[in-house]
Amino acid sequence: MTDQGVHEPLLSGRRLLLAGASARIGLLAIVIMFWILFSSLAPGFLSAFNLFTLGRSLAIDVVIGFAQMVVLATGGMNLAVGSIGVCAVMTSGYLLQILGLPIPIGILGALVLGGALGWLNGFAIVRTGVNSFIITLASANLFSGAMLILTKAVPLNALPSEIGAFGKMKVASVVSPLLLIALGIGAALYVLFRYSVLGRQILAAGANSRAAAMSGVPVGRVVILGHTLSGILAASAGLMVVARLGAAMPAVGGEEWLLPSFLGPVLGGTLLSGGTVAVIGTMLGAALVTTIRSGLLVLQIGNFWLQLFLGLILLVAVLLDRYRGLYVERRRLGRQ
Amino acid sequence: MTLVHRLALVEWSGLLAAIIIGSVGLAVLTPNFLTEFNLYVMLRSLCVGLLVGFAQMVTLGVGQMNIAVGALGGLVAIAFGGVLESLGLPLAFAVPAALAIGALGGLINGLLTVRTGINGFVVTLATASAFTGINLGITKSIPFYKMPPVLVAFGEQHFHAFPYLLIVPLIVAALLGLFLSRTVPGRQLLAVGGNSQAADLSGIPRGRIIVLAHILSGMLAAAAAVLAVAQLGSAQPTIGADWLLLSFAAPIIGGAALTGGHISVLGTMFAVALIALIENGMVLAKVDPYWVQFLLGALILAAVWLNRWRAVSAGAG
Repeated sequence: MTDQGVHEPLLSGRRLLLAGASARIGLLAIVIMFWILFSSLAPGFLSAFNLFTLGRSLAIDVVIGFAQMVVLATGGMNLAVGSIGVCAVMTSGYLLQILGLPIPIGILGALVLGGALGWLNGFAIVRTGVNSFIITLASANLFSGAMLILTKAVPLNALPSEIGAFGKMKVASVVSPLLLIALGIGAALYVLFRYSVLGRQILAAGANSRAAAMSGVPVGRVVILGHTLSGILAASAGLMVVARLGAAMPAVGGEEWLLPSFLGPVLGGTLLSGGTVAVIGTMLGAALVTTIRSGLLVLQIGNFWLQLFLGLILLVAVLLDRYRGLYVERRRLGRQ
Repeated sequence: MTLVHRLALVEWSGLLAAIIIGSVGLAVLTPNFLTEFNLYVMLRSLCVGLLVGFAQMVTLGVGQMNIAVGALGGLVAIAFGGVLESLGLPLAFAVPAALAIGALGGLINGLLTVRTGINGFVVTLATASAFTGINLGITKSIPFYKMPPVLVAFGEQHFHAFPYLLIVPLIVAALLGLFLSRTVPGRQLLAVGGNSQAADLSGIPRGRIIVLAHILSGMLAAAAAVLAVAQLGSAQPTIGADWLLLSFAAPIIGGAALTGGHISVLGTMFAVALIALIENGMVLAKVDPYWVQFLLGALILAAVWLNRWRAVSAGAG
């Protein structure tokens, strides 16, 4: 089986392999197509500087996508990804600048806060039995509101200089270490969902929570863990933004992360109905988004039309996915 | 059953009580609350919010959601402003054109959702991005300032504390109430939302009704956009950018079920009024404006919890 660990009895392993792998190969082909297009239209696209900034924003988009993906796997959604991200940003800023604590503690504090806020989401969803959409919509505003009340929206830009330096660091002269971290997180998630009991339980709970509960999966606990993981990932993305900006800004994250958080996983083939994840697909989906954003910037088409492109690409992608699914289904029926 | 008892079972009774208690409290605590000007400002701030709440309410009623309410509103607002300023066309043309664009946006949302069977959340998330993109691409974030004096006057005039602007949402509310309770498509809309399979089996054209709800939602968003232009006196591309939370908060605090089939026009109206009252109270008390966002989040959670509790206790009784 591929990294789309689906637990639907109706779907055979072969069909999944076909659907999952073809989706990722198709996505990869589209990304490569855009690279060829942009680099032939604008030579600046392949410059070391552009590749470096592209890789750095890709790292952030990938992790934002992961934060949504792990909750989608449980069959829910998390509209608070951006709010948790910005709360982590300001927490790290507070710990490092105001309290003057060492950097590892600042990072750890932000991640713990992210996990705690995610846990709160999961706990509220499981305890009340209310739709995750509405709980996280409300909590997103609680978190952002509390952050603004506490920080008075003042940016913290006297962080230790090592942080900004890390954001500007280059491995092999073009690769940002942030991208390597994002790949590392991806590898860990791949192992989690493919080989660990917890990962399989999350997918089982997302695919069919009643069946999972009957097979002894502690569904409530698993959903809460999924949200906690999402919070930690959102906080990681927030920390990456801190490294990129070299400062803790209260204006990052929030609703701006909403679309990217869904774009990566949905383009990559994660179902909104739960029970699937596509770790590699999410990375490719984020790569497509970042490539287009960077390409339009280099071509100076301007940020204004970017939103339109992203919306249309999401629409085309879900449409293609829908019809590919139908096509595979039909072929399977034809063979019988 | 006594009157008090019966009132307690109506969803919006708690909201009405909260509004009355809040108003009395504010009137006692701050002398500025009951001034004609303050009441006018507060009532005027209600108008757009009411229509935004209704726009989401109808999609919730059919069991869908519309993330694109604000994006469509923004697009309609600048199209409306552009028709008036750049093309110099009269209001009699611009207002129907604005509503038609809203209906078209809703039609796109509805058709994409129904024809493809893709989750309405993803569809409207994508179209929201596309609508915002068109809006920013056309305007480059520059507003249209030259609005007809009639429109601006309509946005400002008032009879004592009653702004003329409020007439529009009140009429819309009455029509919506009639539509949902007395007409066949209105009842079908709620039937599809309540149990789409049962509605299908009873011969209701489910797909067409979902499309209808999206069209209605688009037109209500467009109406909200027109009122926002009248209220601001200019067509800002940022109109609608902050509607998402309010659009869900109003119907849900008003007692709508996210699963569909159950919405309340009066409840939504009282919810918008309560939110406006809270915002007004915070301004008068000179509280940090960031508290509004925090409280709105808390209010939604409280409302969801209360609805849940009511459902459970109704089931037990």
